[in-house]
Amino acid sequence: MAAAAEQWVLVEMVQALYEAPAYHLILEGILILWIIRLLFSKTYKLQERSDLTVKEKEELIEEWQPEPLVPPVPAGHPALNYNIVSGPPSHNIVVNGKKCVNFASFNFLGLLDNPRVKAAALASLRKYGVGTCGPRGFYGTFDVHLDLEDRLAKFMQTEEAIIYSYGFATIASAIPAYSKRGDIVFVDRAACFAIQKGLQASRSDIQLFKHNDMADLERLLKEQEIEDQKVKLKYKYKARIFLEESLSFGVLGEHGRGVTEHFGIRIDDIDLISANMENSLASIGGFCCGRSFVIDHQRLSGQGYCFSASLPPLLAAAAIEALNIMEENPAIFSVLKEKCKRIHKALQGISGLKVVGEPFSPALHLQLQESTGSREDDVKLLQEIVDHCMQRSIALTQARYLEKEEKCPPPPSIRVVVTVEQTDEELERAARTIKEAAQAVLL
Amino acid sequence: MANPGGGAVWNGDLHNHRKESRSLQGGNCPKNGILKEAQQNGKPHFYDKPIVESFEEAPLHVMVFTYLGYGLGTLFGYFRDFLRNSGIEKCNAAVEREEQKDFVPLYQNFENFYTRNLYMRIRDNWNRPICSAPAALFDVMERVSDDYNWTFRFTGRIIKDVINMGSYNFLGLAASYDESMKTVKDVLEKYGLGVASTRHEMGSLDKHKELENLVAKFLNVEAAMVFGMGFATNSMNIPALVGKGCLILSDELNHASLVLGARLSGATIRIFKHNNMQSLEKLLRDAVIYGQPRIRRAWKKILILVEGIYSMEGSIVNLPQIVALKKKYKAYLYIDEAHSVGSVGPTGRGVVEFFGLDPRDVDVFMGTFTKSFGASGGYIAGRKDLVDYLRVHSHSAAYATSMSPPIAEQIIRSMKLIMGLDGTTQGLQRVRQLAKNTRYFRQRLNEMGFIIYGNEESPVVPLLLYMPAKVAAFARHLLNRKIGVVVVGFPATPLAEARARFCVSAAHTREMLDTVLENLDEMGDLLQLKYSRHKKSARPELYDETSFELDD
Repeated sequence: MAAAAEQWVLVEMVQALYEAPAYHLILEGILILWIIRLLFSKTYKLQERSDLTVKEKEELIEEWQPEPLVPPVPAGHPALNYNIVSGPPSHNIVVNGKKCVNFASFNFLGLLDNPRVKAAALASLRKYGVGTCGPRGFYGTFDVHLDLEDRLAKFMQTEEAIIYSYGFATIASAIPAYSKRGDIVFVDRAACFAIQKGLQASRSDIQLFKHNDMADLERLLKEQEIEDQKVKLKYKYKARIFLEESLSFGVLGEHGRGVTEHFGIRIDDIDLISANMENSLASIGGFCCGRSFVIDHQRLSGQGYCFSASLPPLLAAAAIEALNIMEENPAIFSVLKEKCKRIHKALQGISGLKVVGEPFSPALHLQLQESTGSREDDVKLLQEIVDHCMQRSIALTQARYLEKEEKCPPPPSIRVVVTVEQTDEELERAARTIKEAAQAVLL
Repeated sequence: MANPGGGAVWNGDLHNHRKESRSLQGGNCPKNGILKEAQQNGKPHFYDKPIVESFEEAPLHVMVFTYLGYGLGTLFGYFRDFLRNSGIEKCNAAVEREEQKDFVPLYQNFENFYTRNLYMRIRDNWNRPICSAPAALFDVMERVSDDYNWTFRFTGRIIKDVINMGSYNFLGLAASYDESMKTVKDVLEKYGLGVASTRHEMGSLDKHKELENLVAKFLNVEAAMVFGMGFATNSMNIPALVGKGCLILSDELNHASLVLGARLSGATIRIFKHNNMQSLEKLLRDAVIYGQPRIRRAWKKILILVEGIYSMEGSIVNLPQIVALKKKYKAYLYIDEAHSVGSVGPTGRGVVEFFGLDPRDVDVFMGTFTKSFGASGGYIAGRKDLVDYLRVHSHSAAYATSMSPPIAEQIIRSMKLIMGLDGTTQGLQRVRQLAKNTRYFRQRLNEMGFIIYGNEESPVVPLLLYMPAKVAAFARHLLNRKIGVVVVGFPATPLAEARARFCVSAAHTREMLDTVLENLDEMGDLLQLKYSRHKKSARPELYDETSFELDD
């Protein structure tokens, strides 16, 4: 019965074939032939991969010459001839064999030489040895670290602080922990290299605003708001603030708490404050402080925190002692401010050099009033001034940058650093020497 | 279960580890003809012992239970989140400020799911604070939690003399002060602690120069440069060496610092399977023959990034084959010896010495001083023109503070000890003791029936635990028995392969190791951890283990 049904269907089909119009049959026939051709033709690839024979491949491998791993560096490059410091890099420094007064190291509070700090570090050395042999997660957390974090949080009047073992890594790890692809960051043009690297690692959208120009920042925020159609600048535009205070921690403010104290801003309004302990606290490492909600996240996602060995305890102990000293005599901050103002005034009016920087900033730059046109020549001229001063026992340095790597390289300059340990007489002498050097070299 | 130490960055796939027992005899590599040529390099003291590395796969029921465990944990996590969100349960985590509630969230919530619900339950096993030097015996501060690990408080008691199987103290040089450290004390008193300036400016001390010369001598290379942090050494110098238009071939399980440095450099990154020479060769061939994708120009340079010892797997890089490949395809080799410098090799000089190769074959040596030297910081060494270039162009030299003088002195002192320059043979003894301890420890663990990963000569010993609950039980029980171990889970390791990682040290005596092994035996029985299906006996192998390589 089924066979009959099949046969019957077949008959129907044959009949349909006879009854179909000719063009229909021809079209179908062409299509079938085309399909058969496609099925059996050689498939071709988009690239001519299969065209290279093994012999040709071997030849290509033989012929290929890579660039040398590193291009040659001219022997006279200044970075190859570092200034070698023998002995402690503190107030009286011995550079290349010559005794000088140190106007180059960021030793703002003069704590590099402090006997109390050294004694605390020594006590820690006796108890813990030198290294921690592990990251924070794996028995690298010492009670000294927890102490230091507590003290820093209390000092800055925030909820929590987290310490890193390297100053550069602090902000460079903090930024990518929060800001990822798809986020937008508004950065000052003159942001330091560590911030730039952190931003690069975060893969976020970066918008630069002119240095210290709030109008420019507002303009950028407005543009972003229009783009987003979303509804004082932070609360108005719902952005968060990360502050990098490496040079202002321990300098500005009545108690040395930095910019927030200086301007009287509530510290709760700032989401994250990052600073390194290598300037005022005369130790090594860095820290971030802020609310627990913000800081705790870094304990699992800050790369420089999770994947790196913790700070050696003797450096942490030294930082604690330095904090103690800072808390005990808050008068040093006003002394420092006085000295800064004094040198700022004394350096005005040098022919050929202009002073760049605020009067209360402990590090100011001397740039050439008129550039020679090429950055290299500017650098050479400034170096001559520096050498001149070094010969007269004033240790100065040029501010060094990697010009090709910086987003907006600042113009070449000499950096003058003021510390609490410099006496007024030394400040006068320095100003005089720089004036003479500028006159001798530039005129 | 984060916080990887020298952690591997996980790329999101599940790893299928198979038993690979490779034997590297003279030239009988059973693979295709190309590899065979690449191997002959005619060096007189070629490493001719068989490399024994094993990555045994777990039995099926273990994997099933592991995933079940995670599944259950996740379900409960959702349930608890629901309770917390609807206000039935109080939320203990820190929350955003009231004024900022309508801001864009600061960090992703999903990342946080794992932290809140799975990691938080067992997080007392990490970040354990200690209050003594991280020597072979150390003191752990006791801490308890009243609210299921959301907050901790210290009881004030100290658990004394815990055996330290977690710190990277390979040669036992991390110890509290004794007379041999006198030079460190003197340097501290003379130089102070901080430097407050960069290498380019006023921060180059004579101590740094002394240290750099010593490092170059130690590694038998032309020059070296030191940096203040090991992590930063990678992330700041790889961008100086390669840039756009260059190719980086990086091992699957490279450390986060290498990955970060590679990403920051802007070069194209291609990943090859862990320690797999076929995968590397294929990538090299394709790179040299076909050049850059789309524009077809040749690559400017090809850099191979590998590590000496991989800290999560315990495997040692297959250096002779990599050197042969690199010579054939004219690539450059960058080797990160964070764990291997000081701990492998007959005199502790690292993997190059371990395999008996010429240091000139490796282009860039990088290492850290944290592990075997008991200090902190990193170095890069190699030919003089390389180091000169880095002196000028390294980000760290221009922008970061240089190394602290007492730390530099500690490294100088340790290095002199290892090299024998202090007049004793203590250094050599320590290296030998480490090798002996490693072999003994690994052999006993294998006999007991645990699954151990890695090369039999590597002092980093991962012991597989798999299930998340066992991870916590293991660490807690052992601490009660006064043994401190490190356990690692996701995301430092693949999800289903949580492990405990032991770091054998030269400072461990035979008694300490025996105590640990006894306790591990008991733990293995208690927690049913002896998954290995290979019965090992205490007697040496009586047959030749032929090599067979499984195809991917």
